[in-house]
Amino acid sequence: MDFEESSTKLVSHEFLAVVLAGFGNELVPLTNDHGDEPCPKALLPVANRPMIDFPLTWLEQSGITEVLLICPTTHRSSISHHIHSDTSSSSYPSLHVDVQTYEESPDEPIGTCAVLKHFSSRIQRDFVVLPCDFVPPEGLSLTSILNKYRIESNLDGAIVTSCWLLKVHGPDRGAIPGEWGSTGSCVPIIWDKKSGTLLHIDTPDDRDRNSNELEIRMSLLSRYPVASLSSQYTDSHVYVCKRSILDILHQKSTFDSFREEFLPWLCKIQYQKTKQEKYGRVLRPIQANATHALALRHSTLFSGPLLPQDPSSRGSSSPSFKPVLLRIGIVVHDTGFAGRVNNIATLLEVNRQFLTRANYTLPTDPENRALIDAKSQISSDSMIGSSTKIGERATIKRSVIGRHCVIGKMARVVGSVLLDHCVILDGAKLEGCILGRNTRVGAKAELVRSLTQAGYEVDAGATIRNEKLEVSDWTAGPQGTDSDGVSQEDEGL
Amino acid sequence: MTKAERRELQERQRAAKAAKVATGPQISGAGLSVKSPQATTPAPSNPKKSSKGNESPLQTKGFLTTGASGPSSKSTKESKASAAAEEADGRSRGLRIFSHFALQKPVGHVAKGDVHPAIVHLGLMFAEFKISGANARCIATLSVFKRVIQDYTTPPNNTLSRHLMTHLSVQISHLVSARPMSVTMGNAIRQLKLEISGSDIDLPEQDAKDALYGKIDNYIRDRIIIADQVIQETAMKKIHDGDVVLTYARSSVVQKVLLEAWAGGTRFSVIVVDSRPMLEGKRLLSAFTAASIPCSYLLLPALGSVISEVSIVLVGAHSIHSNGAVFSRAGTALVAMMAKQHSVPVVVCCETYKFSEGVRLDSFTKNELAPSGDPFSSFPLNRSPTSLIIQNQPNLEILNPLYDLTPPTSITAVVTEAGVIPPDSISSIPLALGRLI
Repeated sequence: MDFEESSTKLVSHEFLAVVLAGFGNELVPLTNDHGDEPCPKALLPVANRPMIDFPLTWLEQSGITEVLLICPTTHRSSISHHIHSDTSSSSYPSLHVDVQTYEESPDEPIGTCAVLKHFSSRIQRDFVVLPCDFVPPEGLSLTSILNKYRIESNLDGAIVTSCWLLKVHGPDRGAIPGEWGSTGSCVPIIWDKKSGTLLHIDTPDDRDRNSNELEIRMSLLSRYPVASLSSQYTDSHVYVCKRSILDILHQKSTFDSFREEFLPWLCKIQYQKTKQEKYGRVLRPIQANATHALALRHSTLFSGPLLPQDPSSRGSSSPSFKPVLLRIGIVVHDTGFAGRVNNIATLLEVNRQFLTRANYTLPTDPENRALIDAKSQISSDSMIGSSTKIGERATIKRSVIGRHCVIGKMARVVGSVLLDHCVILDGAKLEGCILGRNTRVGAKAELVRSLTQAGYEVDAGATIRNEKLEVSDWTAGPQGTDSDGVSQEDEGL
Repeated sequence: MTKAERRELQERQRAAKAAKVATGPQISGAGLSVKSPQATTPAPSNPKKSSKGNESPLQTKGFLTTGASGPSSKSTKESKASAAAEEADGRSRGLRIFSHFALQKPVGHVAKGDVHPAIVHLGLMFAEFKISGANARCIATLSVFKRVIQDYTTPPNNTLSRHLMTHLSVQISHLVSARPMSVTMGNAIRQLKLEISGSDIDLPEQDAKDALYGKIDNYIRDRIIIADQVIQETAMKKIHDGDVVLTYARSSVVQKVLLEAWAGGTRFSVIVVDSRPMLEGKRLLSAFTAASIPCSYLLLPALGSVISEVSIVLVGAHSIHSNGAVFSRAGTALVAMMAKQHSVPVVVCCETYKFSEGVRLDSFTKNELAPSGDPFSSFPLNRSPTSLIIQNQPNLEILNPLYDLTPPTSITAVVTEAGVIPPDSISSIPLALGRLI
């Protein structure tokens, strides 16, 4: 009998995944509190699955097991309940999720850099940064991005590998009101296709400085004479990074946003000598290359390190300066729809994409089946959650309906997204709306292209177009508030 | 019916079966129910079985095969059977011959078991041909094994000498799944396992590990680096002023020999012969021109036009077998045969650790496929690299074996660190040096 059977881990894990769950300021009012309970952006359902399921299943498929999930303090309990519940742990059983909190309030959003600096003591190896709202495209697996990082970090000193997605143009303009945001903003980037190196990202500061021209350095062009420029790609915010990035972050304390400030700055180190001199040692890009230097010298397909052959600097370079070999890798993915669900328009778009692949059939188990009336018309490109009751002669087209909803008789729901527990009374008409949890729509109300916060109640017979409805407006007087986009009192009263 | 006719009949029946939608089980003439599993390994058409084919991925009804499952793909005589890549609608039939050259499962799978991340990296680099060449792969493997041993701790109730072997076997199987093991890697690993099993059980763990590091370093130093230096000195004497040396593709040893000879003052010129798809000779050419050696570069088909001016041919080897046959990059056999015809001496530079005990008579039984296309080509710049690669099309299958076998009759001499020997006497070397391998 061996009482001291301890399982020694012979091999340490290679990557740590850092999933960042923010407040979702652009998804207001869906992410406003429901009474006292917060509605975290990470748990907002997309096609009836909580948003955070998507990156977590993607991680599990690639074999990463350690996850550090960082969320605001107020969201911690609801997120950790969801992660550790049975339903979710069955969909990603091998993940070990560690939920950590960070103090932030919705009024001052914190950038990724600050969060990473705060948690850098918990991150001891190479890590992958993922946003909680990333919906990965079907053809792209995280393993391919990881493989590119693995090969390059051993071969020629890549320190970050990023992933950029081709922006697919959204549907007709009229379907989504302009104030709901656009589906993904594109920044111009310059990259080298052959070696997959990201060279330059246009930052908002650059655009402010000079909005007519794109300024790039000559040293970039002399190192990479064949580079490509495009403004059709959006950043997926998936970064595979070396641990030494965190050391640099500590040095550059002014940076707040990873995507907008730090990454473009890192790209510049690849070809700017002054920055290389300052930070080359900290980055220590090819510490592992010592193991393979001898092997690579004997390798038949290796053509020697790619050192910069910058003719202009030959005279001025100091003799002790050895050019540092480091790269920012880029994986460009062209096919399939993917995006970050961080504003309303993308939420609607992603739901639509899932609906195009959906094929609705009536549920097979008898109790669910009984809830759906035989005379209701449900089109095949809609999704209905379990335990939803659909009344007689209701019409559902191109919509996503959550769980435990009640749709009354003769209701019409077209092109909408209803979250869980919504109640639509008889005769109501919804078109292009997004209703938060527990919304109650009165009888014969009509909502066109509106959003409601969780727990909102629309009065019977109301007609509302292009509004964002928040619960706090009930307390406002009949004149309504003067801030734009916020509702006015319903006209029925 | 002859075997060919029977095979034709099976092909026709298989195509006919694939054309219609299969729902029920197939009942063969003998009354056996046949389950058609998802065919992922090449299943040769076994003439002994009933005439129905045995692959149709659409059929998944659960009827068990009763002992009639065909043998696996390792039979050499059946190696010309159709490949498993045949889809149900017969769209792409895969390689009809030499299907065993390709890897059985694609790389990119998640590592199973306790695989060290450095081994995962190395497997990726092997699979992508970032590290290629017998010497390079062996050195890389041994260096990564040093890392693995460094990070290893003996679990309780176990000894280092026994448990480390099982741990390493897991890593080795991952590497083999990325790319088949080379003879050099095999010899080095065998020596390493010998050292591990011989390590003293009473030594504290760190001392045992340090001893292993020392042994690994010594192996690399003695059998590769110093062996290369001895080969350089020996082979240099074969090259005289005014010689025209011909070499094929890129061998790390030959590169060292020629650079050293040039540095030693001999003035010769080099002809580099290269072949697609790997085009390794280009890198050799850049190394030589950097040292200002006068070079010519040509592709293999043009060999006949220059062979009459060549005074000596120097090639490297992946491995050398006990019957004297040299297993080397595909095309070496052609170069050696041509040179022999024109009475040009062919000298193979090979360290003793590349020696393999077996007898090899042909390059068909065990070989690999070269990586598709030339992803490293950058000329011409105005076309994208993918358009320069020939790819598989519906009526075209590309087959690029990586290695070929040069028979001992074409080889004049082999230069090893033990001296210059005729090819057939390779097997006497270890004994002469007092070694087991």
